[in-house]
Amino acid sequence: MGAYLIKRFFLMFPTLLGVALVTFLLIRVIPGDVVELRYSGDRGSVSQEVIDKERARVGLDQPVWKQLATWLVGLAKLDFGTSMWTGAPIWEEIELRFALSLQVAVMATVIAVLLALPLGVLAALKQDTWVDYVIRIFSIAGLAVPSFWLGIVFILVLLVFFQWLPPMVYTPFWQNPWENMAQLIWPALAVGYRYSAVSTRMTRSAMLEVLREDYIRTAKAKGLWQSLVLRRHALKNAMLPVMTVVGVEFAFLIGGLVVTEQVFNLNGLGLLFVQAVAHRDYTLLQALVMLVAGIFIFMNFLLDVAFAWLDPRVRYA
Amino acid sequence: MLNRINALFMLAVGIVMALVWPAMAQDKPRSGGELIFAVPSEPPSYDAHQEETFGVIHPVAPHYNTLLRTDPTDKTGTKPVGDLAESWTISSDQKTYTFKLRSGVKFHDGSDMTSKDVKASYDKIMKPPAGVKSLRAASYGAVESVETPDAHTIVFKLKWPESSFLLNLASPWNFIYKADILAKDPHWYEKNIMGTGPFLFVEHVRGSHWVGKKNPNYWDKGKPYLDSYRALFIKSSSAQVAAVRGERAHIQFRGFTPADRDSLVKALGNKITVQESPWDCVLMVNMHHDKKPFDDKRVRRALTLALDRYTASKNLSRIAIVQDVAGIQVPGTPWATPPEDLEKLAGYGRDINASRAEARKLLKEAGVPEGFSFTFKNRGVPQPYEPVGIWLIDQWKQIGLNVKQEIVEASAFHSMLKRGDFEVSMDFQCGFIVEPDLDIARFLAVSDANYGKHKDKVMDELYLKQARATSPEERKKYLRQFEKRLLDEEVHVFYTLQWHRIIPHNAKVRGWMVTPSHYLNQQLDTVWLAQ
Repeated sequence: MGAYLIKRFFLMFPTLLGVALVTFLLIRVIPGDVVELRYSGDRGSVSQEVIDKERARVGLDQPVWKQLATWLVGLAKLDFGTSMWTGAPIWEEIELRFALSLQVAVMATVIAVLLALPLGVLAALKQDTWVDYVIRIFSIAGLAVPSFWLGIVFILVLLVFFQWLPPMVYTPFWQNPWENMAQLIWPALAVGYRYSAVSTRMTRSAMLEVLREDYIRTAKAKGLWQSLVLRRHALKNAMLPVMTVVGVEFAFLIGGLVVTEQVFNLNGLGLLFVQAVAHRDYTLLQALVMLVAGIFIFMNFLLDVAFAWLDPRVRYA
Repeated sequence: MLNRINALFMLAVGIVMALVWPAMAQDKPRSGGELIFAVPSEPPSYDAHQEETFGVIHPVAPHYNTLLRTDPTDKTGTKPVGDLAESWTISSDQKTYTFKLRSGVKFHDGSDMTSKDVKASYDKIMKPPAGVKSLRAASYGAVESVETPDAHTIVFKLKWPESSFLLNLASPWNFIYKADILAKDPHWYEKNIMGTGPFLFVEHVRGSHWVGKKNPNYWDKGKPYLDSYRALFIKSSSAQVAAVRGERAHIQFRGFTPADRDSLVKALGNKITVQESPWDCVLMVNMHHDKKPFDDKRVRRALTLALDRYTASKNLSRIAIVQDVAGIQVPGTPWATPPEDLEKLAGYGRDINASRAEARKLLKEAGVPEGFSFTFKNRGVPQPYEPVGIWLIDQWKQIGLNVKQEIVEASAFHSMLKRGDFEVSMDFQCGFIVEPDLDIARFLAVSDANYGKHKDKVMDELYLKQARATSPEERKKYLRQFEKRLLDEEVHVFYTLQWHRIIPHNAKVRGWMVTPSHYLNQQLDTVWLAQ
């Protein structure tokens, strides 16, 4: 198992390097750059001289290979540089938003798992009964409804029926738990519902598959209690694909809640991503892509570890 | 009898007072409270001398004063009044401006503000040190020297009379900084705040909010009225509307759409006050003078003649942030074109059928066939670009032109214009003060914003003449000639409709007046919250 994990660990680095190169080159294909955008605001008539000087200041006058080399050296030292738009250190920009995005991702994951596991198992146990149908409709609706739309509905309902809107400024949980939850519970519910739909369907199909296995029949034939068969034999084995879905979705939530963050005016990484693209803030965008790619790759590594722990076939392969 | 009449009279007065008093009390500024406003943009840096976005002005301006400002009670936003300047005199040759500064003005660190600070700030604006940017240095090309004969006097000497000079000194961008700080580090103000303004800096959380609190030692005694203000950075327009509707924000100072206004009024009724004004922003049409057939002024003239601006004003204003039919200046402001003059310009006539007949004739004369196709490039921004773009295409169809619209992503639009990669394109401008020098300099042949690449010495000369005119009548005369040349005789570009600024805000917000510029009236010293 040790060799397996070491191999998986070191495979992360070439993947990250590949992401770095593709990101660096792709964002430079988009027309316009940060300097032009910053000074083409409302009047759109800043002199070329000012634009050229600023371009030199942020290093955009350098050949692309030199910009790439500088960035890769910084990356190796975990120094992402400064934002081309604000001039603030990239870590500062990310740190500000990371706590919020992480909290929404964790809350949405908890909501999704709390809904998906019981519903998925119940649907599998009551296959083709009205219970199964109701759960399937609930989960298909979750897949069909975009989370940002659900977010808009939440806001409208709160405004129209309760004349109340969630707070618009993030307060850390340890400063004011009530204010924090009043702001974040709504996006977490909106996102968690869609997330739970995917997981419910995966849990149901995995459970159905496992429940038809010979070892389940054997366990039942031995006279084991239904709950014990379910917990010890069925659920544990059905969890492998469910964990994959939950893990990948969690990684996606860290930087992927672009529209939902806009709807609720959340100062998270998704919105920062959009701003970085809109501003052509290359340094910030590169750092964000690397961060999200790193989270995805790390989540996959953790899943590999979990699989190896749960499934002896992976361990001994 | 007389006593009874007196008693009745006193009773009547009492009843009237009882009825009127609450309203009167509401109109008397009240101290206290926190103003919360939404800002759709965010400051890239805190140094207004080198920034271009209102995202700097809205949250940062309350920390500073400028030498002059525009009168916060003037709806046109064109009347300069003293801010740090108490009074001023102008020499008879209009080349020497002497300003007397207020005494007792202190920076937020407790140090005195003197003429040295004003001079250092203007030196940075006009001749920035190496490595420091100043976006508006060109506006002060007429300044020969700045002198400080004593701690409370500053003298600007000009090389030639400049009509726009006073308003340029009232620019909301020209924050007065502390000389000692600038001497040590001219970049300091990019990341720090130290002004003399009505509010002290509390915090800025990037992407989230900005907070300022009342300056208890503000030189204008009794002001500001607010205890504090909080600017919430909200990019999404629907979230801004929700914030005002849900009373999470009192106001958004840039502007809302007609639909947003209507929905807020419907939902909140008398809890909402709506202020509106023509906006010093305009969408123009650029035609590339090096590309056929737009090198022919008959074709350019035909394009403007096709537009039924008056009908559009009624219809488009229901769905887009445009309204007035205007020339080169905002309607209702001192240099605006009188309607009777405006109607004489190509495309501004009341008889649209006659205009379109003339347009068809001109196209025929220029050899442009019926159904001629060209591409119109528009900016990928919903308001007001998309509705105005669709309207233009429809209008040009009426004179037999077949126009294909190409939407260019907002971030790539400016570079497309600069490359000259268009036949006909939308162009835009927003001014920070309605002042001809600032608004029409872009039409000079040497301007970096001359995207259509026209060369017109007559217009360049007229620009200089109006800029250096020493009487308002003389200036008006040259401005009308400039306008006729630009929009009628040569049609280098043409205007669509003036933008329209709509500010629906919480009725508690008092002491703030809408102007044509979303850069003005943002010091917040006069703003207060009713109970």
